[in-house]
Amino acid sequence: MADALQIEHLSKTFAGQVALDDVSLEVAPGEVHALVGQNGSGKSTLIKILAGYHQPDPGPARAWISGTPLTLGDGAAAAAAGVRFVHQDLGLVGMLNAVENIALTAGYRTSFGGRIRWQHEAASTRAALAALGIGDLDIKAPVASLPPSQRTTIAVARALVGWEQGASLLILDEPTATLPGDDVRRLFEVVHRLKDRGVSILYVSHHLDEVFELADRVTVLRDGVRAATHPVSDLNHDALVELIVGHRIESATSTEAVVGGRPLLTVRGLRGATVHGLDLDVYPGEVVGLAGITGSGREHVLGLIAGQTPRDDGDVMLDGTAIANYRPRQAMGAGIAFVPAERALRGTFAAMNVRENLTVTDVARHVKGFRLSRKAELEETHQWISRLSVKTASTESPIGSLSGGNQQKVMFGKALRLSPKLLLLDEPAQGIDVGAKDQIHTLIERAAADGVATIVASTDTDELVRLCHRVVVLVSGRAVTTLTGSEISAERIEHTQLQTTGRGA
Amino acid sequence: MIKRLGLDKYSALYLWAFFVVLFGILRPHTFLTRTSIKTVLVENVIVGVLAIAFLIPLATGTYDLSIGTTMTMSLVITSSIAKHTSIPQTLGMLIALVACGLAGFVSGFVVVKLRVNSFIATLGMSQIITAFVYYTSEQTISGVLKKPYQRLGTRLLFGLPLFLYYLLIIAVIAWFVLEHTPVGRYMFATGGNPEAARLAGVKTDRLIWGSLVASGIIAGFAGTVYSWKVGTYGPNVGPGYLFPAIAAVFFGASQLKGRPNIWGAMIALFALASGIKGLQLTFSGTSRWVEPLFTGLSLLGAVSLASRQSVIKIPRRKVAPPATPADTPSSARTAAT
Repeated sequence: MADALQIEHLSKTFAGQVALDDVSLEVAPGEVHALVGQNGSGKSTLIKILAGYHQPDPGPARAWISGTPLTLGDGAAAAAAGVRFVHQDLGLVGMLNAVENIALTAGYRTSFGGRIRWQHEAASTRAALAALGIGDLDIKAPVASLPPSQRTTIAVARALVGWEQGASLLILDEPTATLPGDDVRRLFEVVHRLKDRGVSILYVSHHLDEVFELADRVTVLRDGVRAATHPVSDLNHDALVELIVGHRIESATSTEAVVGGRPLLTVRGLRGATVHGLDLDVYPGEVVGLAGITGSGREHVLGLIAGQTPRDDGDVMLDGTAIANYRPRQAMGAGIAFVPAERALRGTFAAMNVRENLTVTDVARHVKGFRLSRKAELEETHQWISRLSVKTASTESPIGSLSGGNQQKVMFGKALRLSPKLLLLDEPAQGIDVGAKDQIHTLIERAAADGVATIVASTDTDELVRLCHRVVVLVSGRAVTTLTGSEISAERIEHTQLQTTGRGA
Repeated sequence: MIKRLGLDKYSALYLWAFFVVLFGILRPHTFLTRTSIKTVLVENVIVGVLAIAFLIPLATGTYDLSIGTTMTMSLVITSSIAKHTSIPQTLGMLIALVACGLAGFVSGFVVVKLRVNSFIATLGMSQIITAFVYYTSEQTISGVLKKPYQRLGTRLLFGLPLFLYYLLIIAVIAWFVLEHTPVGRYMFATGGNPEAARLAGVKTDRLIWGSLVASGIIAGFAGTVYSWKVGTYGPNVGPGYLFPAIAAVFFGASQLKGRPNIWGAMIALFALASGIKGLQLTFSGTSRWVEPLFTGLSLLGAVSLASRQSVIKIPRRKVAPPATPADTPSSARTAAT
């Protein structure tokens, strides 16, 4: 019997950067095949080519679905050939209920006059969900109000509609990345049921315990190359980590911190979102890194400190001042400057120009008499533009006309102009080019040299190695290891953050 | 082309100039006269005041749909006090303005504390205010306001009534606060990206709340102008002014700065008013349908000219694959699932 999916010689280059290099992959019929790798290893690029978001490089790339040739990079062809996706964000419409969401892609069955046969639709939705082990779901409730595991199950059920009529491969793209612990268990049960039904699954994940729990075979991608494909039973945890991380050549070495005295920032028992009890001290002039895979708490620590996300519990003290929960203004006043991740969502004002975006943190300092002094404001803006080498046509250009890197520099200026004692940087080099990244890193080092304490949360381990005096690795919402000085290496960080935690296993 | 001529940001000025020339030629003896210019100015003061009342909360991203009924409320309070009590009429007017400010305060509470979408909150408030208006007086009240009170607004200065200057003063103050003080900057930040504004230390809730109070008082002042100018209360006076005011604000938001701004709204308002006046003079007798048709067309025309600039060519599927996931059309995803 032909493989459910077979890919040969697939390569993809983005603007000179190789994302996939001559990759091959085979998913046997009825098997759960795990696809694992670090951020940037190429696994999401591969999935996106299958889904038709990206085109493969021209060349010898070929693919078959159950023996039938498939044009790569054509989403419609993949769908017609029977490839079904459950993407990480699920693609459900929050305001609609389970029945309506499933009908969105499957279509409604109608009777006389085009009336939707609601009872029939509801019954088939119930049956589809019951087959996945969820019989008690409220199919009339908007899916946004349902727990995450049920939403995921609905997305899976939707992908499975009409499975018997020619579908052959289900792709689950990091289905547990945003699920809390208990929900992961439930999703596992769903996958086990699918396996019993003989559904072929390509399961993308970076939780290794899931691979051992669910998969028959695993393919490891590393830097765009297939590092290995093995039956899971041939591997243990350490061997798999070794395959994923490989032996890294360190691109940069970290510097020893010149720290001493009393900590500037103390965090005790911090809880909220994905963080479950974190203690942290940061000293003046120190750059502390936060590492961890998505869901480890890394993405929420800074927001919890700065007031982006409400805390459930925990004390934060900066230089003798208690930092209140969920009050960014108070945190700012105490000396914290925060550069959030996802610039467009939380950082920039699209309708405003460079000057207004820069000075929005405390524009009141430019008040002369009763009015804002345009002259003083412009003067300061020009200073920051030259100090941060922001490339912009003018101070009055809309912020959106700048490249991502230059927008990020403006976000840095906006934070640094507060002369903060503590700088919180969430994914500081997200979505910017290599040159700008280097400049941003120099800025961070300069701020630290001036005695500013800095915390950098990042998924880019090379960035942490380059910048940090100390790296705290989070797993399942807790700090498991702290690496200092010469212990800090990309390999070490990556090994540690992939530690099994018993989550779901 | 559109950009070089400034058609995107100055379309209202072009339109205004076009009307002056067109109707100046068509109706030289009636259009370009002191009387008709004066009429255009005087007849649009109330809409102008309401436009400012709508614009201030809009800067913070908040809709205030209750301004029309708030205006009626101001009028009914002023008139009722004059009719039933011996309180000085000017004091009665001030009481009315305080009451309108209070109505704005309640809207603010609903928006900020109860987290109700401002569109819905102020729609609900407008009905509650309407109920208050009817409760106070279902009947028309006329002839109770005394000359000395009305002369506060109708006395002439350089041949124009004082209330026109009051509009100018409110506009200057609103412009100054919005464009030249930190408060205004923070308001636009709140309207542009509330989460980013909050993280930048802006007191977003307080600004939204405050802008609704200001909006209530200014809308109430529109009622005051009506009491000076017309002097008669009727329960359905206010809401008719709502649409022209909102149209002027949105037309104006496409002008000059590309965001809600006072002078854009004022220019849009008087450009439209001049056009309508010219049409009325040219096609006398058919004026009723001309006005809304003209307002609607101008609003759509100006806003589409302005937004064309921000439309970047839409990539076609299958021709050129998008380079980053962020550019991916979501339809590709739906097709694949």
